[in-house]
Amino acid sequence: MSYKVTEEGNISIVHLDGEIDMDVTEKAKEIIMPLIEAKKEVHLNLKEVQYMDSSGISVLIESHQKATELGTKVILKDISKSVLKVIMMAKLEQILNLG
Amino acid sequence: MNNLALISEQRDFAVSSSSLKDVRSFSREVFEKVDIEQDLKDELVLAIAEAAQNIVKHAYQNQETDDKMEIKISLQNGNLEIGFFDKGRPVDDKNVRHRKIDDIKPGGLGTFFIQQIMDAVVFKEGEKPWINHLILTKKINY
Repeated sequence: MSYKVTEEGNISIVHLDGEIDMDVTEKAKEIIMPLIEAKKEVHLNLKEVQYMDSSGISVLIESHQKATELGTKVILKDISKSVLKVIMMAKLEQILNLG
Repeated sequence: MNNLALISEQRDFAVSSSSLKDVRSFSREVFEKVDIEQDLKDELVLAIAEAAQNIVKHAYQNQETDDKMEIKISLQNGNLEIGFFDKGRPVDDKNVRHRKIDDIKPGGLGTFFIQQIMDAVVFKEGEKPWINHLILTKKINY
């Protein structure tokens, strides 16, 4: 997994790239959580994520919950077909913010 | 490839999260030989990777080990069987956490995915030298 973070005002845009599995979830959290803790609105661009498993979905859930707790939000952007399928399989399309 | 062909392939993997990409590569390689929809191939790869992940997380509790886990994929006459063999802590079927449909807590999702994708999930005591033997099955229409 590789990533790039850009800032637009109070919005942090995190572009994730590659496959997100258990092996990279800690790295993903290290990138996303500090932005949420800084009360940024976080846009996760998932266009280039070709594979995500339950560990990756757990990162999305934890990020969403942390953001809600801190009064900000995480919005999933440009979700790739394969990731959307897994989000739907987890029945989270109504829970997570899909932008 | 001839749809009626018998597929039976197995491979050993280190019990580690870093092996999961190799598990996916192996699974993709095997399913490339089968004439089924790409969506189904992707689902099967996910189910296999989730089961392998559960071995790392639960049977070995993320502890480093020199042990290997073995994955065997067999397909005959439309009956897909995927076997997982490990030497970790014995898995008690009753303790396997199943995610409820309205539960949005992280965790338990892997097993939920496996159940959604596969027709049957059976935990067995492994025959020596194995401790656990998980069998996932699915009828494949092709």
